[in-house]
Amino acid sequence: MRFGIYLPPKAEGEKCPVLYWLSGLTCTEQNFITKAGSQQEAAEHGIIIVSPDTSPRGCNIEGEDESWDFGTGAGFYVNATEDLWKINYRMYSYITEELPHLISSNFPADSERMSISGHSMGGHGALICALKNPGKYKCVSAFAPICNPMQCPWGQKAFNGYLGSDKSKWESYDATVLVSTYSGPQLDILIDQGRDDQFLAAGQLLPDNLIAACTEKKIPLVFRLQQGYDHSYYFVCSFISNHVKHHAKYLNA
Amino acid sequence: MSDEDVEAIPPSSFPVMLDETTKEYLFSTDEGTLSKASAETQVPTAHLDIGPEGLSFYNMDLYESQERLDIFTEELPSSRTEDEQFEAMEESNESRPRMEEEEYDLYTAEVSEMTRQYGIWDDKEDMEMGFQTQEPFVMVTQKQEPAVQNFKTWGEEPVKGEPKDRGAGEKRGSIHKTPAVDEGGSMETHQPCYPSEEDEPQSHEQHVGVRQYSEEAFEEEEWKEEVSQPMKASRGDTHIGESTGRWRDVFCMECRIAIRAFDKVFGTHKDHQVTKLSIAAEDTKVEIHKTMCKLEEQIAQMENFASHLEEIFITVEVAVPTVERTEEYTASDPDLKLSASLEFENDAIDFSDVRQMMDSINIVPAPSAPVINPQTPNSATSTSVRVCWSLFSDDTVEYYELYYNPVLEGTTAEENEEQDASMVKVKETYCTVLNLVPNTQYEFWVTALNTTGISPASERAVYMTVPSPPVIKKKVCRSCLSAALIRWESGNTNPVDTYTVELCEISRERSETAVTESIVGIPTYESIIQLLSGQSYLIYVRAVNIGGPSERSDSVIIYTTGTLFHLNEETAHSSLAISEDGFTFMFYGDEYTELNDITFSDNAFSRCVAIMGELIPIRGKHYWELEVEEQTEYRIGVAYEDTQRNGYLGANNTSWCMRHVTTPSRHKYEFLHNGSTPDIRITMHPKRIGVSLDYETGKLAFFNTELSQHIYTYKCHFLHYVHPCFALEKPGALTVHNGIEAPEYITFS
Repeated sequence: MRFGIYLPPKAEGEKCPVLYWLSGLTCTEQNFITKAGSQQEAAEHGIIIVSPDTSPRGCNIEGEDESWDFGTGAGFYVNATEDLWKINYRMYSYITEELPHLISSNFPADSERMSISGHSMGGHGALICALKNPGKYKCVSAFAPICNPMQCPWGQKAFNGYLGSDKSKWESYDATVLVSTYSGPQLDILIDQGRDDQFLAAGQLLPDNLIAACTEKKIPLVFRLQQGYDHSYYFVCSFISNHVKHHAKYLNA
Repeated sequence: MSDEDVEAIPPSSFPVMLDETTKEYLFSTDEGTLSKASAETQVPTAHLDIGPEGLSFYNMDLYESQERLDIFTEELPSSRTEDEQFEAMEESNESRPRMEEEEYDLYTAEVSEMTRQYGIWDDKEDMEMGFQTQEPFVMVTQKQEPAVQNFKTWGEEPVKGEPKDRGAGEKRGSIHKTPAVDEGGSMETHQPCYPSEEDEPQSHEQHVGVRQYSEEAFEEEEWKEEVSQPMKASRGDTHIGESTGRWRDVFCMECRIAIRAFDKVFGTHKDHQVTKLSIAAEDTKVEIHKTMCKLEEQIAQMENFASHLEEIFITVEVAVPTVERTEEYTASDPDLKLSASLEFENDAIDFSDVRQMMDSINIVPAPSAPVINPQTPNSATSTSVRVCWSLFSDDTVEYYELYYNPVLEGTTAEENEEQDASMVKVKETYCTVLNLVPNTQYEFWVTALNTTGISPASERAVYMTVPSPPVIKKKVCRSCLSAALIRWESGNTNPVDTYTVELCEISRERSETAVTESIVGIPTYESIIQLLSGQSYLIYVRAVNIGGPSERSDSVIIYTTGTLFHLNEETAHSSLAISEDGFTFMFYGDEYTELNDITFSDNAFSRCVAIMGELIPIRGKHYWELEVEEQTEYRIGVAYEDTQRNGYLGANNTSWCMRHVTTPSRHKYEFLHNGSTPDIRITMHPKRIGVSLDYETGKLAFFNTELSQHIYTYKCHFLHYVHPCFALEKPGALTVHNGIEAPEYITFS
């Protein structure tokens, strides 16, 4: 597994908090590094940014490269339980356990202070990691996340393939559902969504469901529908500094 | 006469006929007698009174008191008696040398001048007073033999046998000038008023010295009479023997007429004292001259005496109540340790003598116009001024009359004079005039009065009372972390010159009244004052005019912990009701607003039910919070001063606001500017909203303070200072909290 890591100047002298960035469908560890432009803000606040890959590669599982929204580059940040995938596709564990351990062993990272964010499928991943691990992540934010995978085509396809047809098993990987059962330290979620995002229109993202659930559950969420923006990294790049600042508020507190 | 002659020289002695044939008489002034006397003790030791310090007192009474020339119309009783004692000295007066060696003193020079003017004196300048002033009199000599010219100065050794004039001259004493006129003579200053113990000798000297002139005149004549042998008169070359007896060239002392020498011997004047006419004439001149000198001196003395008395009068007058007070105080048994005795002898001082004396002095001229001083700084209050003036020291003044008039604006000088002036009678040269109007100019002038009359009025001086203190308009003062804006009203109907703001930093170490800073010369009714953040201050304002600063205004307390502003009620929409503390406003709904209640004030919002806070005119960061209900529909934000009052907040480019409305399905939050808003969804409905304004970075941010959650930030570029503004969309209430410290998380926005 490959990952990208940005070490701010502050890391030369001391341990810094870590922001884990989960990328979306078809991305590798490179997209964020090259396209997001997050380094300036991260340097200002002294935050390490780790950007892992979106799935294991070269597993030689049948059908892994068949579609762009399932298999390679589409790990969906779950621990697969279906036969073909369950050995290799354990992205949830990788992100929440293995990677942090690796980072803190090899880099000047403060293992006590970490936060998580992501785009699209990565947004979904960030949300579920934070919701499933109350208190582990100091902060969570997302760009155009898949808020309710159980209800959208992408999610249904992926969960079916990785988790089987028992929808009850899907629930534990659905942010909207997880919100309703969440109990833990107060979250402060920031979500940016491009208004002209085609996938929003296609009903893949379903932020309203999440908003409703958060409203219901009184989980603080600020959702910004950004006029004129689509699903691309131009959108991410435009608002990444807001998010880094948002994370810095909690990571450096 | 023998050395041991202790007999008093008889008061009237006859000139002794020296020579029947030549009809020479020995007069007392003739040399023989004098030189003889010089060799002999003239002191009638039988009458010696050995006084203190081995001083002898002689019976000087050569003449009975009536015959003495009365210069004083009323004499000091005490001095009279003492003089008598010293008169005895006269007998031992030998020569009366008024030779060239004697120096003139200024006083006598003046007199000489006068006499010359009046033609009394011809050329006998040597007759004039060549008396020493420098040395004190020696009335009482040490009782050694007074070798002739030997009246020494006090304590000096006798100069034996010197035909020097100095001794006697000194002894005669100069015309002793009064201390006031004295040219630094070694004569101790003494008050010619109450001769105290110390003063006795000197005063006596003085008086006797003065008196001696008259004595001397007589003495000389007397001695002339006494001498029976022909003696050379020290004065000149007058020889008695030259008297022919044919003309009336002899002067009878008793009858005061010129007679013939013949008559003296054989006529009615047989028993009378006589003297040569020319001599008599000269003597008379001398006498007159002396008298004049004496008169001059006396006048000066009198004047001085009078003013001294007056001073004493005033001092005692002032002191008596002090004495009384002190007496009272000590009588009340205070718990004090005094080094002096507490028992008071408050002798009633009998002023009657002195008053008599004072009344007798009516030769005093009316005083000249006093000089009124300009106003000294800080001597005035808002209702009083302290007026000072001065007088010529030669003047005798009983009391002053101080007149004053307020200076009315727009009147001419003549009109001013026509007003009735108020008047205060005062004895001192200063007066604190009360019951005046603040911040007003008054014209003062003063006249001096004594028994003779009234002086001309002094120049007029303008004094001004200080202003009343200003009134700080607390409701429009505002502050922030680094500064405060203080506004006040003048507190005076007429304009003042400037204002002064005083700050007191309130801290535990300092007392509240310690002023830490003053800002002076403020020309307007407001001031922005730089302060330190996180402190409390007491701020006062004073009004200043030429009379000085007013009292402090009531204070206002300023906390620099946050931005503080008040709601400007003038801008409130008519449907808004504002609470008493001025920080909550309520909208009861349109149906409660009567049409006739709607005031169409230019400054009020007419459509948007809004109100503005005061302008925040200080650069930097500001923060305040608002409290609402979850269902409250509001608009909150900032706007320029000139934002359209008939518009809605946020609908134009002069205002920015966060808007909350509720729909049946959800809460809607908008961030309006220029009519547009981003699409923001919030899941938690803030009940307390923090607003952060940063002029430097051009940011206006909103927070859910309960969650420390950042909601939204405008990035704008403020062209002017802004006012906080608030509006209610439907009935509800909104409370402003300000003057609070901004939380730290607002920096991450």
